[in-house]
Amino acid sequence: MLNKYLAFPLAFCALVSSALAANHVVEQKGKAFSVKSLNVKVGDSVEFVNADPFNHNVFSLSDIKTFDLGSYPQGQSKKVVFDKAGQAEVECAIHPDMILKVEVSE
Amino acid sequence: MKRHGVRAAAVSLMLLGAATASPMAAAVDLPSDVDFPHRDSPEARVYRGSIVFSNYCVLCHGQNADGKGRAAKLYTPPPANLRKSDKTDEYKELIIRRGGAPMARSEFMPPWGAELTEEQISDVVSFLRSIAPEDAPR
Repeated sequence: MLNKYLAFPLAFCALVSSALAANHVVEQKGKAFSVKSLNVKVGDSVEFVNADPFNHNVFSLSDIKTFDLGSYPQGQSKKVVFDKAGQAEVECAIHPDMILKVEVSE
Repeated sequence: MKRHGVRAAAVSLMLLGAATASPMAAAVDLPSDVDFPHRDSPEARVYRGSIVFSNYCVLCHGQNADGKGRAAKLYTPPPANLRKSDKTDEYKELIIRRGGAPMARSEFMPPWGAELTEEQISDVVSFLRSIAPEDAPR
């Protein structure tokens, strides 16, 4: 019975939280990220758009977020949600010089 | 042994010089009694391939090519141990060029065909051949 009463507020909070989360778009162009660093809030997403005529990859081995979004061609994008506060270093496996620092705050 | 070291250093200088083509590199006075391998020799190809491998492949396959690169923990199955590979040179060339997905292997192996030159791909395959088991298929 308690669950029934908790379900709605929890769902409402989740809905509000996701509605407040921002999406940050970062381009991959000229074998570089369009910004060198990015400040986001916990729950925000970062979308990586490949604007180069060849494949890019996005991955991170950071403590707050480890992921590999795979490789994808020009015009496509991949998105990742940062759900913990801290610093993340995002890289491209194909182009080792591409590095983006993401600062995730509460 | 000493001669081998001198030769290796001289070859490194020669190859790096060719890569950078800087006036300083051109001015290096190389010893005249060293037998330089031709740039198309197996030695030169393996050497160049090891540099390409160090720049692009170690992230997943590791500095020792044993599949234990720093990103290896992200993947299941793990990156291939290239020191124990039973694949042919032709297969390796294809998977390097096309990536893992078209070869029904890991989707996380990127396609390198647009990033590496034909020579770089061929050199990496030569390097991988040099570290593969002797009884591995060619």
